[in-house]
Amino acid sequence: MDVHYDKETPPTREGSAFEFTGNWAAFGKIALTNLLLTIVTLGIYRFWATTRERQYLWSESRFIDDRLEWTGTGKELLIGFVMVLLLILVPFFILQSVAQAMVLQGEAGLGGALQMLAFVVIIYLSGVARFRGLRYRLSRTYWHGIRGGSDDAGFGYGWSNIWKNIVGYAVLGLLMPWAMMTLWNERWSKMSFGPHKFDAIGDYSDTFKRYLLFYLSPLLFFGGSIIILIAFAGFGSAASGDFKSTSPAILTSAIIGMVLFFYIGLGLIALFFYAKFFRVAIDGLSLQKLDFGFSAKTKDWFILLLGDAGLWLLAALFVALPIGVAAASLGFISDFKLPEADATSAEAYAAVLVPVILTIIIPFSLVGPFIRYRHWKFFVTYMQCYGEVNLDELTQSETVSAKHGEGLLDAFDVGAI
Amino acid sequence: MIAQIWFYDGQSAARRMVEMEPVGGRFLLVEAERRHGPFAFADLDYSGEQGRTSVYKHRNIEGWRIGIAGDMAPDIAAALPGRRQYGGWIDRLGLGKAAIGFGVISAAIVAVIMLSPQWLAPLVPASAERTLGNAIVGDFGGRFCDTADGRKALMKMASGLDKNVSDIDIQVANIDMINAVALPGGKVILFKGLLTGAKSADEVAGVLAHEIGHVRERHVMQSLIRQMGLTVIMGGIDGNVGGTLNGLLSLGYTRSAEREADDHAIAALGSADISPVPTATFFDRLSAMESPEPRGKADGKTNPKQDGKKDATIGKSASVNAENLLGYMSSHPMSKNRKALFENSVVKGKNYRPVLNETEWRALQNMCANDKDVKSDKTFDFGV
Repeated sequence: MDVHYDKETPPTREGSAFEFTGNWAAFGKIALTNLLLTIVTLGIYRFWATTRERQYLWSESRFIDDRLEWTGTGKELLIGFVMVLLLILVPFFILQSVAQAMVLQGEAGLGGALQMLAFVVIIYLSGVARFRGLRYRLSRTYWHGIRGGSDDAGFGYGWSNIWKNIVGYAVLGLLMPWAMMTLWNERWSKMSFGPHKFDAIGDYSDTFKRYLLFYLSPLLFFGGSIIILIAFAGFGSAASGDFKSTSPAILTSAIIGMVLFFYIGLGLIALFFYAKFFRVAIDGLSLQKLDFGFSAKTKDWFILLLGDAGLWLLAALFVALPIGVAAASLGFISDFKLPEADATSAEAYAAVLVPVILTIIIPFSLVGPFIRYRHWKFFVTYMQCYGEVNLDELTQSETVSAKHGEGLLDAFDVGAI
Repeated sequence: MIAQIWFYDGQSAARRMVEMEPVGGRFLLVEAERRHGPFAFADLDYSGEQGRTSVYKHRNIEGWRIGIAGDMAPDIAAALPGRRQYGGWIDRLGLGKAAIGFGVISAAIVAVIMLSPQWLAPLVPASAERTLGNAIVGDFGGRFCDTADGRKALMKMASGLDKNVSDIDIQVANIDMINAVALPGGKVILFKGLLTGAKSADEVAGVLAHEIGHVRERHVMQSLIRQMGLTVIMGGIDGNVGGTLNGLLSLGYTRSAEREADDHAIAALGSADISPVPTATFFDRLSAMESPEPRGKADGKTNPKQDGKKDATIGKSASVNAENLLGYMSSHPMSKNRKALFENSVVKGKNYRPVLNETEWRALQNMCANDKDVKSDKTFDFGV
C-alpha cells in the first residue's frame, strides 16, 4: 500500500499525515492517578507514570493510516535511572567532594583542575545523553509493528557536542546556529526507522538572519538607550541646571524598559529564531521517500508558551487560594497560635508541614504532565509529511535495542528531539 | 458486531485483516489466501488501547501485533490476557488498595530512615570517622591559628567542659565569621570572628560546649547517614520537589539535634561552674541580627507567650504566628528561644566563676593575630 502527499498543495488538518486525537479529560485521569501513585511510592512510580503518559500520547497520534505505539516500560526507565545513579552521579559526587576537600586544604590549583575536568565530563555526557535519549525513544516507537533505532552508541556524538559548541562560542557566539544545526543533522542521520536511515540536511545559513537579529538586538538596544539617556540627561540638566531633578524619572523608565526588553523583547526574538530553526531542521529531515516538514510559525510557538505560562498561573492560583483562605480564617481566630516551634517534637513539626507541602506540591506537580501533553500535541499537529511509503519494503529494524531507558537524559534534564 | 482484527507480523509493515480461529490454547490468523500461526494465547501480552481497539503483542516475536475492535466470542475473550492499566502489582490489587498499601510502606521507610541514623551512627568506628574528618579538613589550607598561650587557654576552657577532651580536636580558624562547626571525627572549629566578636570568654565557652555536644551526641555522623538515606529515597522524586522535601525533612531533625546540643551545653557549663548568662546574652545579640523588629519590649515581661496572657489583637497574634513559622523554617532554634533556655538554667546562689582570666582570654582572642604563619582568609570561599 502506498500513500501519497504532495508538498506543493499542503493538506488540510484531516488530510495531514500527522494528527493528534487525544483530549484533556482522558489525559487528566492518567495525570491524576500518576500523581497519587507517585506520592505514595515516594516518587518511584514516576517511571511507570512516564510510561503511561507516553502510551496515551503515542496511541492518540495518527501517522498516515495508523497510530503510533509506545512500548517502553517503567522497569527499563528505572534501570536506566539506577545505572546513571551508580555509574555517573555517585562517582561525580565523589569527584566533587575530593575537589572541594582539596580547595579546603589549600590545593586550590589541583582542586580547580579536578572541577574543570568534572565540568568537561558533564558537557560530554549531556551530549551522549541527548543522542541516546533519541535512540531510546525511536527504538520504543512502533508504527505498523515496525520500530526505529540506531546502531551508534552516541559516544562519538558526545565529542562532536563538545567541539562544535566550543567552535560555536569561540567566534563570539556567532557560529551557534551552525553548531546547533550540524549537531541536529549528525544526531538524526545516525537514526533509522525499519530498514531505512534518516537523512538530515538542514542548512544553518537559512536561520542565520534571524540569529543575527537576536545577536545584535541587545547591542542596538543598549547603544540606542545610552544615546537617548545621555541626550535627555544633557537636555534636562541644561534646561533646569539641576541634573538630579530630571534623572530619576528617566532612569526608572530606562530600567523598566531594559527589564521589559530582556524578558519579553529578547525572548520573542529568540522565539523568532527558534521557530525558524525548527522549521529548517525538520524540513531537512527525510526517510527514504518521505519528506518531513514543520509548519509552526513564531506566533504558534508564542501561543504555546503563553498557554504554558497560563498553566503555571492556574497552579499558582490553586495554591494561593486555600493558603489565603486558611491564613485569613486563622487571622480571625485571634487566640489561634501555631504550636511554638521550639517546643514541638519532629512529629508535630511534620504534622504542620506535610499538609502545607501537599497543598503546594499537588497543583504544581500537575503542570508538568499537562505541559508535556500540550507540547506533544503541538509537535504532532504541526508536523507534516510528504511523499510516499512502501509498506512492503518497510521491514523490521535490525538495530540493537538497549534494555535500559533514558536515565542519562533524565539526569541532565534535556529534551529528546 | 463482529470483531475487526488487524495483524502485523513484525516482519513488514503491511497490515493484514484477519479472522481468528482458536484451536485449543492456540489460534490461527486467517487471511483471504494465507494462514498465520498457530500462536499460543499464553504468549500474548496486552499492549494498550488505540481508540476502541485493544492491541496485543507476542512475547517472543518483535513487532507482532493484533488489534481487536469490537466484541470477540466469549471463549476467545476469556483466553486473551487482561488489560493492564497502572502496572502489574497495582492492577492486581486495585488502585485504592495499592495506593494505601504503598503509602503505609513509604511512611514506614521514611520513619526508619529518619530514626536509623541514631542507631547506626554509634556503630561507625571512631577511627573511620576520624579518617573521614581528616580527609575533609586536613590542615584547612594552613588557616588554623596556633600560639602556645592561645592553645593553653583553649585547652583550659575545653577541659572544664568535657572530661575526655583529648579525643576532641578543637581548632581556631582564621576566618572572619561569627560561627563554629562540628565536623566528622570529633573536630570542632571555632572561627576567628566568633572570638573577636564575643564580649567574654564565657560566651565562647557556651558555643564551644554546644559544638562539643554535637560531637558527643554523634550528630555529625547521624546527619551524614540521614542525608545519604534521604538522598537515595528522594532521588525518585523530581529534582526540585525532592530537594525541598529532603531539606524540610532533615531540617526537623537538625533542629532537634541543635536542641540536644544546647541541653548538653547547659549541663557542661553547669558542671564547669560557668555562668550560662553570657551565652544567653550572646544569643540575644544574634537575635537582634535575625529580627527586623526592634527587640526591647518583645523580650521582656510583656511577651504574650512568656507570661501566658491572652493576646486579643489580631495583628500581634499574626505576627507571633509569623515568627513561629520562621522558627519552623530555620535550621537552628530561634535565638530568642535559646536565650530563654540558657537564662532559665541559672541556678540561684551558685558560685559561678569566669572560665578564663583576662590574660588567658586575650591570648585566645588574639590567637590568629599573633600567629605569624597562618594563612589569611582572603581567598576563602566556604559554602556553609
